[in-house]
Amino acid sequence: MAEYVIETEGLVKIYRDRSGEVKALDGVDIRVPKGVVFGLFGPNGSGKTTLISILVGLQLPTSGTARVLGFDCVRESVEIRKRLGLLPENYGFYEHMTAYENLEFLGRLDGISKNELKRRILEVLEMVGLSEWANAKVKGFSRGMTQRLALAQALLKDPLLLVLDEPTLGLDPQGTAMFRDLVERVVKSGKTVLISTHLLHEIGHICTHAALIRRGKLVAHGSLDELSKPYIEARGFLYEIAAPGEVERLLHEVKQLDGILEVSLVNEKVRVRAKRDIGGELARLAGRFRVRSLSFLPPSWDELYQYYQGGGWE
Amino acid sequence: MKDKLAIVVRKELKENLRSVRYWAIIILFVLLYLASSYAVGFALRGFGGPIVLTRRTRAIMQLSSSVVNTMAYVAPLLGIALGFSAIAAEREKGTIRLLLARPIYRDDVVNGKVLAAVILIVLAIGLSMALATPLSVVLQGLNVTADDLLRLMLSIIPATLLALAYYAMALFASVNAGRSSHALVVSIAAWIFFAFLLPMLASFVAFYMLGPPPAMAFNATRPGQMPEQLREYYSRFQLIYSRFQLISPNDRYTSLANALFNVRERTEAYESLINVFSRRWIDAVVLLAYIAVFIALSHVFFVHRQETR
Repeated sequence: MAEYVIETEGLVKIYRDRSGEVKALDGVDIRVPKGVVFGLFGPNGSGKTTLISILVGLQLPTSGTARVLGFDCVRESVEIRKRLGLLPENYGFYEHMTAYENLEFLGRLDGISKNELKRRILEVLEMVGLSEWANAKVKGFSRGMTQRLALAQALLKDPLLLVLDEPTLGLDPQGTAMFRDLVERVVKSGKTVLISTHLLHEIGHICTHAALIRRGKLVAHGSLDELSKPYIEARGFLYEIAAPGEVERLLHEVKQLDGILEVSLVNEKVRVRAKRDIGGELARLAGRFRVRSLSFLPPSWDELYQYYQGGGWE
Repeated sequence: MKDKLAIVVRKELKENLRSVRYWAIIILFVLLYLASSYAVGFALRGFGGPIVLTRRTRAIMQLSSSVVNTMAYVAPLLGIALGFSAIAAEREKGTIRLLLARPIYRDDVVNGKVLAAVILIVLAIGLSMALATPLSVVLQGLNVTADDLLRLMLSIIPATLLALAYYAMALFASVNAGRSSHALVVSIAAWIFFAFLLPMLASFVAFYMLGPPPAMAFNATRPGQMPEQLREYYSRFQLIYSRFQLISPNDRYTSLANALFNVRERTEAYESLINVFSRRWIDAVVLLAYIAVFIALSHVFFVHRQETR
């Protein structure tokens, strides 16, 4: 097994039609380590779905190479698909068939034996909260239920790599929470999850690594720590202190520390931004003022994305 | 990968056997067969003049005409109905992305659909004939022999080839269309071309090449009384017309199916099957060529197509 479950090098995808050509991917190099939740972040039309389509063999790259789980995406895509579960962005089910029948058909194509398949179907339906709907025709399913079923089909073969394209689209808050739990369970069992999304606030925080993509080009790529470093160097360290009774005195003391950029009081919480790591000094102050909690706030993926691409979503 | 093929076949069979469209075509076939049988029977009963039809000849003509006429319309319809949505509908509904995300070769998807279509076509035609023939025999009071029934059964083969030729064309359209409605329009256009435009075009070209028939007065009460000059004109006209029609699957079907019901004049016995095939092998070859070429093209285009939607 390769060290990285996904490796791409100089991946280019150009779509050509009568009106000209569009470069959907422009020399993308990414590496996804094993056993992480990897986010592929970017606005709509940035090339995320194209990248996923190439990884699973639905499309061919114009140039460059891509390997998934050690297999070449062009020559060995069937081997990849034996081990990969995909939740595509645009998909549909056979509507006249029940949820169970749909999963049975897809599971058989995955090569799961008949006896094993029955057990697996019931298991994944339970995981996504659709057990009661196993024998209902998909025709009557809501968008959220269909999305849960799509998650179920991706989990069916217990894949080594789970690729989810906009997985929370159409899910209600309860569904999104279920999805987050599910991803955590999958990762705990040693699998890798690749999540492509533009909804960073919903699921960004469950990602430990990410690639930020814009107009087909990779903007930044790495673990949260790696990507946070330049951001923190530029914007400073951010801390949050659950304020005690003597908040005014605490504010005064904090302001005296060296390298303070900004101090504010929001909802009884003191937020401190500093040029350098003042964690130790704040801990000492926290002890003196008996504060309820002190925490370092790492930048969110949203903030990182905006920092790396120099603006918000387009 | 044989098991993947079988899985696709089973799913296709299940899906189509549950569809209203499939059963509607079978019902349409039975109704058209009965209507055609009645119309031919009505026409033959009123047949006067010097040609006297025996009861046996009438039965053969009535059955063969019903089968051939009905099949000429229903078989292409059946082929198109099964083919136009085969891939395009999967693309339209998005099921293709879930299907192709499985460890399956695209060849297996096409092969599975084709194999299921063969089964569904044979089943539809066989079932329709099994329902319509006894009804027609009873309602029209026909005198049918075992030999007639054998020929009727054999006529399933050219009908299946015709349906498959249209299925293959519709499948090719489906592979290349983003929407099943586009594939349907293209398939129907192909059918209109072969069923209506090509015969018109063939007549037009023959007429253009030969000019109008020679004007001469004659009184024909029996066949063969037509003047030699006129007979030659029509024979040349027929030659040019049939050359054009050689590429028409509809015409090849009619020619092959009618040949199965050819009877020798004196004995009223059917022409042997070896004779039929030695005379009409080209019909079978043309029909098979349509099937092979369009299925092969469907394979090539589907395997190389990038699913961008």
